[in-house]
Amino acid sequence: MEFCYEVFTFGLIGLTISDRYASVVHVQGLSMFPSFNPYGSTSMASFTDDYVLVEKWCLEKYKFSHGDIVVFCSPSDHKKKYIKRITALAGDWISTPYSYDSFKIPDGHCWVVGDNSASSVDSRSFGPIPLGLIRGKVTHTVWPPQRFGGAV
Amino acid sequence: MGTRSFLWNFAKKYFTFGLIGLTISDRYASIVPVRGLSMAPTFNSHGSTSMGSLTDNYVLVEKWCLEKYKFSPGDVVVFCSPSDHRKSIVKRITALPGDWINMPYSSDALKIPEGHCWVEGDNSASSVDSRSFGPIPLGLVRGRVTHIVWPPQAFGKVERKTPQGRLSL
Repeated sequence: MEFCYEVFTFGLIGLTISDRYASVVHVQGLSMFPSFNPYGSTSMASFTDDYVLVEKWCLEKYKFSHGDIVVFCSPSDHKKKYIKRITALAGDWISTPYSYDSFKIPDGHCWVVGDNSASSVDSRSFGPIPLGLIRGKVTHTVWPPQRFGGAV
Repeated sequence: MGTRSFLWNFAKKYFTFGLIGLTISDRYASIVPVRGLSMAPTFNSHGSTSMGSLTDNYVLVEKWCLEKYKFSPGDVVVFCSPSDHRKSIVKRITALPGDWINMPYSSDALKIPEGHCWVEGDNSASSVDSRSFGPIPLGLVRGRVTHIVWPPQAFGKVERKTPQGRLSL
């Protein structure tokens, strides 16, 4: 009885920490090559993919900086999560690819781009994203062991 | 010695109940105040001032809906403002992805893109909503309002109301 209680409490602590403070997330695909998955990524070999630590303290104040790598809900499919790098924040001007136009990032939005531009669906396709879609900031790689650490 | 273990047990129980409450509030349901008149008369039908927060409606927001993101037109939802992520807004969903909506003050119709929805306040005259900031991504939604829980005279279920004449068929 006492044991069940302890297990329950620790489970709850783990859940709360994962929801509010930090969790470990699996990175799929090559849009952030070579920062993540530099050895390639296939749907079968998910144990060689990078797993990263995502911290959620940043969500309290939503203080993001240029170059932060964030996890966010896709604006076109809320069930999918993406990991990309913030390259521009509200008020910055961004030049659209393939044209001479530039436009200003609206209030409360940011521009996200994958490190591997050739193979990344990001703000160049779906435009700036509202900061409210962000679910956390990536701080460290935790798997595989040879890539452990490396503060992002 | 007995008092210490009693206090320790009490602290442990208090901590566990606090954690259960926190988890429930994060994942399942929580109670939030509704400010302003943009949803009158559904909420705050007696008016709302920045001082009179005791008379503002407090509503129950459920988060089960976020698991599958299954919303229906007419649901009242809480979402992060697209122009200021620190603000939460309460409005009613009037159109879902794929629906066509009539643009106000023009004869254009707009198709709601995938993964987005159109939200409007019940009190159109006094509401900043999708007519200003456009359709919002469903990822911004933080929960659905099911009941008013305060003040006692306003207690009751919040009904799903399909809007008249906004959808272009």
